[in-house]
Amino acid sequence: MPEPVEEAFAPTGWPDGFAGTLEERRAAAVLASLRGISPRKLHRLCWREGSASRALAAVRAGREGSEADREHALATSGAAVIEATTAAGARFVTPHDQEYPGSVLELDDPPVALFVRGARIDVAEVRVAVVGARRCSSLGGEIARDLGRRLGSAGVCVVSGAAYGVDASSHRGALDAGGRTIAVLGSGIDVGYPRSSADLIARIAQAGSVVSEYAPGVPAEPHRFPARNRIVVALSSALVVVEGAAPSGSRISVDHALDLGREVFAVPGPVTSPLAEVPLALIRDGATMIRGADDLLEDLGITVPGHDRHPDPPIDLPEDEHRVWTSLAEPSLPDAVARAAVLTLPDAVAALIRLELRGLVRSTGGRYERTLSGGADVPGV
Amino acid sequence: MYGRVVAVTVLGVGGHLVTVEAFVGRGLPSLVFTGLPGASVNDARDRVRPAVESVGLEWPLRRVVVNLAPASLRKDGPGLDLPVAVGVLVATRQVPSAAVVGYAFAGELSLKGELLPTPGILSVAIAAARAGLNGVVIPAANALEAAQIGSLRIVGAATLAEVAGFLRGTWHPPAVDPAVAAYAEASKVDLEEVRGQAQARRALEVAAAGGHNMLMVGPPGAGKTMLARRLATILPELSREEALEATQLHSVAGLLRERGVLTSRPFRAPHHSISLAGLLGGGSTSLRPGEVSLAHHGVLFLDELTEFRRDALEGLRQPLEDGRVVVTRAAGSVEFPARFTLVAAANPCPCGFDGDQRKHCRCRLDRLELYRQKLSGPLLDRIDLRLRVPRLTKQELLGSERGERSDIVRDRVREARERQRHRFASIGVTCNAHLAGPLVRRHARLTGHAEELLASAVETLALTGRGFDRALKVARTVADLAGASDIEVDHLAEALSYREGFGEGSVARAG
Repeated sequence: MPEPVEEAFAPTGWPDGFAGTLEERRAAAVLASLRGISPRKLHRLCWREGSASRALAAVRAGREGSEADREHALATSGAAVIEATTAAGARFVTPHDQEYPGSVLELDDPPVALFVRGARIDVAEVRVAVVGARRCSSLGGEIARDLGRRLGSAGVCVVSGAAYGVDASSHRGALDAGGRTIAVLGSGIDVGYPRSSADLIARIAQAGSVVSEYAPGVPAEPHRFPARNRIVVALSSALVVVEGAAPSGSRISVDHALDLGREVFAVPGPVTSPLAEVPLALIRDGATMIRGADDLLEDLGITVPGHDRHPDPPIDLPEDEHRVWTSLAEPSLPDAVARAAVLTLPDAVAALIRLELRGLVRSTGGRYERTLSGGADVPGV
Repeated sequence: MYGRVVAVTVLGVGGHLVTVEAFVGRGLPSLVFTGLPGASVNDARDRVRPAVESVGLEWPLRRVVVNLAPASLRKDGPGLDLPVAVGVLVATRQVPSAAVVGYAFAGELSLKGELLPTPGILSVAIAAARAGLNGVVIPAANALEAAQIGSLRIVGAATLAEVAGFLRGTWHPPAVDPAVAAYAEASKVDLEEVRGQAQARRALEVAAAGGHNMLMVGPPGAGKTMLARRLATILPELSREEALEATQLHSVAGLLRERGVLTSRPFRAPHHSISLAGLLGGGSTSLRPGEVSLAHHGVLFLDELTEFRRDALEGLRQPLEDGRVVVTRAAGSVEFPARFTLVAAANPCPCGFDGDQRKHCRCRLDRLELYRQKLSGPLLDRIDLRLRVPRLTKQELLGSERGERSDIVRDRVREARERQRHRFASIGVTCNAHLAGPLVRRHARLTGHAEELLASAVETLALTGRGFDRALKVARTVADLAGASDIEVDHLAEALSYREGFGEGSVARAG
């Protein structure tokens, strides 16, 4: 159905007094729990009707939203949604509340409410979103973790989506450093998805904040993840893309960042790597290339006691390990390593494994590469 | 009107002597079997008479009763056609009864009276020799395999007429030279032909030297099949006993054709759609050895391991553990030897490109998890060597060297095996792979530095108890290849490089 012309535009923010009374608040809670109506439509509806209660009445009357929405709106009470939120250990945050972040209002499809666990999200702080491939490489995961760690120790809050891969690694890095981090979920605030991230999400709720625009109980579904990305970006002042293969969620995040005027950073990779496709394309389109946390912090104007990159092995290595480490300029087959280091294959393999045990080298799909960090000083990699 | 002939029925892989008695008496022309004939023996009823008449011999137009003794033993297989026919010829005085004494008869007959190639003749010959008989009368096509049993006189006949001629003293069988037409199943391949994949070639050598099973994980086109095929070429040569055992299984399965003894180790690569009976042995009418037994003393290669039926993979546990399979059917239960080296190959993920340098894997994570779960557990526990076999880039291929020749590698393997035999002489184990838990720790002595490395590996790599034993076993083999009495630090380190097929380039460790 084509949208009426007068609905093509809605002001930013929300109408005066939106969700300002208890009745309004409850109406907003019901609106926030609707699944069939897009945030954009809901936002326009609220402007047209002028309040949450009247917008809800329109849905209940079937003038807006799907038939399922109408039934849901009739069957659901706002008080119950808010109660379930409290039961899940979360807060129900409307645009009327102090905690609703101003930066989220910049979206032209802002969420009608947010569900928040953990620390308040209206604190004054620098926030950086770190996103990238879920199926990232080991190196990509390590880069994300390092970024999280360095941002965390520099007092920057790391925002991401708690998904596998780059998301999870950047959160973990921030937690490693005792820094703040915000996870924006693509499911109900009480749904730990992906399952393997359930523990991570619990830890983030303790040390940072977990945010969702979805009411308790809403399952994770693929279409919610792109929508989630807009909140990740809106909460942040800059976006870093670590790895991404061509059609990816990272691209969507970048589009949001450009719409909102956020700065975009990208970590490059080899031109032959499929996972470097998105970052390299972004750099070509004008995103700022960063080689790691140092570049990022410098560009953000944050100075921290400098970390060196690691061109040299950080500890005194036995001769053959040193030779092997030095010859590992790129992911290499063991026989290539043996040739470069002038060792027999079994000796080269043995040296590689000893380096791996030191945390200086790892194997990826049959090839060996240096780890990013130099190993010993990094906990938990 | 009575005749008596010795035959052999093959149950599983073993031959059992059967006395075939034929009695020709009054009554309507008919042929009746007694003495627990199997379905295939009953088949012979309508086959034997035309065969006899086709070659100009006479079938009595009377009631013929054929008894197979002992009656407690189930008789199966087409090999009983010939003894039944000869029994009738003796009973009807067409051949002298004294001439059949000291011989065992076996062979399938065609309606024209030809003797057709028959499975299991080697087992027949072995049973006949064990029973102290002088010779066997068998199809000419099977003469080479029977000739492997040196103490027997081999009468290889092409037709029933020749058999009758032999018994009457009018036809003399040609001499058989057991050395000709040896049975080399594997086509001539050599490790030398493999370019690149040096680590995988080395792993093959370690697998051969220690008798270890092996898993290769890599994307399509990495060369997993090519590598696996060459493992058979670097295993030590078959001993005479091993060759006979393996040949016997191939004979029973009817794969021998007109060849003699196996001279190279078998390499079997069943497709993943294989049935349980096809893989482990069995079958509805007669019990045939499965692929695990055809790979006895050789290599069983399972490509696309994750695609095999779950029950088939579960069924591999017994042969991997005991070196034999017991197949039980309504018809009875038989045991087949099945001591093989398992080489398995799998893609790293459903699409095959996880961890690849050039192509991005797009498998959904939950599917990836399911895929890997298929391979977890008891079967994987019995695979000591696991490695990733990457798809090589053009540059890597061009920059790499060809492999060593198989015979050079085999010499090292033989020496390493010799050391193991010597070390384990007292405990009845032939190679490191067969060491059980506590024995591993006793026989795999580490130097001080190696102890330290092992301690750090246990911590850093979170080695499990089984992983620990596997690493020790493989390290022991690497040390044997190097001729070292104790396991040194580099031996252990190399062993640790063969510890995981999956898990890299994957998400699990990225976080």
